[in-house]
Amino acid sequence: MDAIRLSPDDNVATLLRAAKRGERLDIGDGASVEAIEDIPLCHKVALAALQPGDRILKYGETIGEATAPIRPGAHVHVHNLKSLRARAR
Amino acid sequence: MIRSEPSFQGYHRADGSIGVRNHMLVLSVGGLTIPTARRIAASIKGAVIVGFPYNAGSLLGEDRATWKRAMFAIPIHPNVGGVLLIGDNPPLTAEVAAHVEKAGRPHAALTLDDCGHDAVTLTERGMRAAARLAMRISFDKRAPAPLTALTLGLECGRSDPSSGLVSNPLLGRMADRMVDAGGRAIIGETVEWLGAEHLLEKRAAAPDVAKAIHDAVRRREETAIRNGLDLTGNNPGPTNIAAGLSSIEEKALGNIAKSGSRPIQGVLAYGEAAPKPGCWVMDAPAYASESLTGFTAAHAQLMLFTTGVGNSFVSALAPTLKVSANPETCARVGEQLDLDASRVFLGTETPEAAADRLWQRLLEVAEGAATWGEILGEGDEVVARYGPAM
Repeated sequence: MDAIRLSPDDNVATLLRAAKRGERLDIGDGASVEAIEDIPLCHKVALAALQPGDRILKYGETIGEATAPIRPGAHVHVHNLKSLRARAR
Repeated sequence: MIRSEPSFQGYHRADGSIGVRNHMLVLSVGGLTIPTARRIAASIKGAVIVGFPYNAGSLLGEDRATWKRAMFAIPIHPNVGGVLLIGDNPPLTAEVAAHVEKAGRPHAALTLDDCGHDAVTLTERGMRAAARLAMRISFDKRAPAPLTALTLGLECGRSDPSSGLVSNPLLGRMADRMVDAGGRAIIGETVEWLGAEHLLEKRAAAPDVAKAIHDAVRRREETAIRNGLDLTGNNPGPTNIAAGLSSIEEKALGNIAKSGSRPIQGVLAYGEAAPKPGCWVMDAPAYASESLTGFTAAHAQLMLFTTGVGNSFVSALAPTLKVSANPETCARVGEQLDLDASRVFLGTETPEAAADRLWQRLLEVAEGAATWGEILGEGDEVVARYGPAM
């Protein structure tokens, strides 16, 4: 396994090794995703296509929302994910 | 038939608490005498220094309450065998000394005022007093004690996603084992409950505990909003972000795994001791130095501290075992980590096997085996500050 999906609902997986663009990543249970860019160890890879405003799920819980269109296999981090907490309402 | 309870060899104090160390503590009650306290501690082999950098008389509100709680608790921490109190304020120093006397802990107290306001004289008299205390406590012996006497502080710092994946759940297993053995376990770092508070609330032992957890999180979140603070960049901080954590929710969901799975008995104020066994949460700042001192003041005798990329900070008074699961970190900071959990991350060791190793190591440290932080002389205590002073 190259990346771990912590809950069946998750739309991201955490990399158990650094990935190079074009590599196919085994995410367990026979599933895989192709990294469309280099992604460092422990960072997140998108498992589904996401639109701005979509909730990003890890541990089966919301960890933020997408701020840009995200393709499967893309690096998901602060450049395209924003926290929903401690924001002025 | 004698039933064999889980036990360890510890130092039995006059007030009934059990220490895992027998520290000779040099405690500076105020800021002006910290340099003298450092000189004295450096002169007495094995002595530990803790300094309170503020004048308690100038503190207001929550700071005053926090200071008092910590100042009364730290000199009688279970791991302290004897304490030399030095200060620049005679009534305050006497007040702390009276509290230490009541607990029956060997001590001496000196102020600058007793020494003609001369730090050199205070150093000389302090060295003699500390030497005598060190000699006295060197006769203390360990004796069997129940695990129920232990309080475990659970911390994470310079976390990365491996913390939430492996190391923090490993600490959760330690918290559960400690609670099941009749001891106490505490997690703090309130801001790192944001986004995971509903999971903590579900574990509350009573409805008022769930509400207290919810309220503590709201207070921190509203403070951030009121101050216009974007948590991304603050918590998660730059090091967390570089390591792959993207939001406070992601960090929090990993963080709370440290607390294990047992019911949460209540929300403690900063530095407040848990009044009964079980798992507790402390409403406290997240920065490791302040957070650990909150546990120290709550009389945690042992700390478990996970890190993603490496974090050398440890408590001065409570042996702090460091754990990481990041294979790169484990290869890089071997003289920092008391437990390498990278094989769990790589899938070649089960979490249960790593938990057995860590529990064994924890009990060995409780009986005197050193942590890397102790060997390298890391360690400090930093009492949190909240507001303005006079």
